[in-house]
Amino acid sequence: MNIDISLLFYILIFPGFLTAFIIGFLYMGIMRKIAARMQHRIGPPIWQPFFDFFKLMSKENITTKETVGLLATFCPIISFAAMLTVVMLLPIPGYTPLSFEGSLFVLIYFLIMSSVFFAIAGFAAGNPFASVGSIRELSQLFAYEFPFIIALVTIGVANAFSLTPYIAVNFPFALFAFFTSILGKLSLPPFHIPEAEQEIVAGPLTEYSGPRVAMFELVKAASYWVLISLGAVLFLGANNISMFVLASLSILILLIIFRVVFARLTISQAFRIYWFIIAPLALIDLIRALLGW
Amino acid sequence: MHDYILPFGPQHPALIEPVHIKLKVEGETVLGSELILGYNHKGIEKAFENRWWQKGVYLSERVCGICGHYHTTCYCNGIEKMMGLEIPERAQYIRVIIGELERIHSHMLAVGIVAWEIGLDTLFHYLFRDRELVMDAHEFLTGNRVHFVMNVVGGVRRDINLLKVGEVEYALHKLDERFDYYLRIFKNDASVKNRTKNVGYLSKQKAKELSPVGPTVRASGIDYDVRETGYLAYKYLNFRPVVGHGGDVLERCVVRLKECKQSIELIRKAFDKMPEGEIAIKLPHIINIKEGKETVSRVEAPRGELIYYIKSAGDKPSRVKIRTPTYQNFHVLDELLKGVSIPDVPVIIASLDPCFSCTDRMTIVDVKKKEEKVITKHDILHMRDGEHEH
Repeated sequence: MNIDISLLFYILIFPGFLTAFIIGFLYMGIMRKIAARMQHRIGPPIWQPFFDFFKLMSKENITTKETVGLLATFCPIISFAAMLTVVMLLPIPGYTPLSFEGSLFVLIYFLIMSSVFFAIAGFAAGNPFASVGSIRELSQLFAYEFPFIIALVTIGVANAFSLTPYIAVNFPFALFAFFTSILGKLSLPPFHIPEAEQEIVAGPLTEYSGPRVAMFELVKAASYWVLISLGAVLFLGANNISMFVLASLSILILLIIFRVVFARLTISQAFRIYWFIIAPLALIDLIRALLGW
Repeated sequence: MHDYILPFGPQHPALIEPVHIKLKVEGETVLGSELILGYNHKGIEKAFENRWWQKGVYLSERVCGICGHYHTTCYCNGIEKMMGLEIPERAQYIRVIIGELERIHSHMLAVGIVAWEIGLDTLFHYLFRDRELVMDAHEFLTGNRVHFVMNVVGGVRRDINLLKVGEVEYALHKLDERFDYYLRIFKNDASVKNRTKNVGYLSKQKAKELSPVGPTVRASGIDYDVRETGYLAYKYLNFRPVVGHGGDVLERCVVRLKECKQSIELIRKAFDKMPEGEIAIKLPHIINIKEGKETVSRVEAPRGELIYYIKSAGDKPSRVKIRTPTYQNFHVLDELLKGVSIPDVPVIIASLDPCFSCTDRMTIVDVKKKEEKVITKHDILHMRDGEHEH
């Protein structure tokens, strides 16, 4: 049995797991810093998410009496594993040895899986705040997943379901739907409903501590990387590394502006916006893509 | 979906001070609420009773960290009323100026916290950045950012720093522009209105029944403001209260911001009209007031009407009863929370601008029997006597 070293390097280091986590944390750090400057604060250093991660790893796991221990142990791991699968399939310009026909769908499924296990972790904690947070996480999943999938399928139809770079100039509504759904996926304002600290403390993670939270932090970092890269490649058509960096950063800046400008919606308002405004617009683009207009 | 109890507090990120609100919740809808106080009872009313009159001023300053000047003003006004003193006009103006500055920073804090509760951190940070202007103005005039300790019985302790009046006027000018900006945000910004308009609605009728005070009642269309009675220098300043008619969280914020603008006007007028002269009446070291004499003193604190009932026992009070505005505003809480969804709960609570540490009353919880009761004066006396027997 011979192992392809370059493939291993691809999966583990670049542009695989290590890159995903480091760049994801960097995105989070940059976001916090720029948002702070926009709010006339100094803000934490860009490296703060790394510090947080290492600190969390050094802490102990605390399991309360009400927690379902088995679920609390495995949910972070499954969520993490699902996210790793997504990272492996992610199309980065020049590096797509693992993508296959239909990998777009596998990617969508595993993204959902990671969110669902995040929510189940909240239910397992046996805390009212965590339960409400999980209910909100799942409701929000139903809200944003519909326009998200429509947007990706639109590009898929137009692009013969491959993960090659594509510029969505023809489909502005799909681009809009994709962008707004990643706000929901990343729990960023105005869709930071599942983690509304003023209402439900830390949401699903209320009872979690130490390495388990660190695991979810990794998942979050990787999802920043995955979603921003997806947008850069599939919607902004980044076909080389420099263009990819430029496209990713512009998406990140747009996310930061949204984060700074908007107040939180309630879950019913979020539903209304996703299903009755964003999804119909995205559907128009899907129909246009199917008919080839 | 079954209903369950969602504990809101005693420790909760949305609460600045500990209070426990038991929310009976079904899904995301609140069916009812129960307010449990008693987490930071300080026993201040009791502590008044073994201090001389003048020393009580320092104690009353510490009832609240945000509106301490109003507590001392109310306490001193009461004592002066009992003694039949009319303090010098300049001292009256100084009390008004410091008080109105304090109102501005208190209202900015309140609106900022509402902004934070609706998840709009940017507005919160903007408001708190601009609040620094008024905090600095405090420091220019009195030397302190909080707890100015300006009042003494018979006047004020020190004159305001006249060299710094120009800088204060500059700060007020900047603040005036900023308040226009914030009013524009509350008027036009869809994202803010979405979370505050028609949330926590209190009708004029209900407001009359439950009689909250301060911006809460004025936002429901009732022009109740103690400043209209013309205590201190307000009688020279042509004061008219700000009234709003929406009755919701948005209107309460707008009323607060408009009151800030009005306070700026009042301070400017006061600077213009302030006469030269004495700042305090010289009083003996130990004041004696005829035993059994009593008075009720009222001022309009940022959160609403603040009442001190004072009864004399010679050289110190025999009873000081403080009715803080938050205590009166709690009565509407249950009414406002019924039927709202969880995301609106912190917004509504913040819109009342509660100050729990001023308000806290004692509750005794019997852990073994799992029952609780609010104890009365008789119970305390009984308990004290019981201890003596042992």
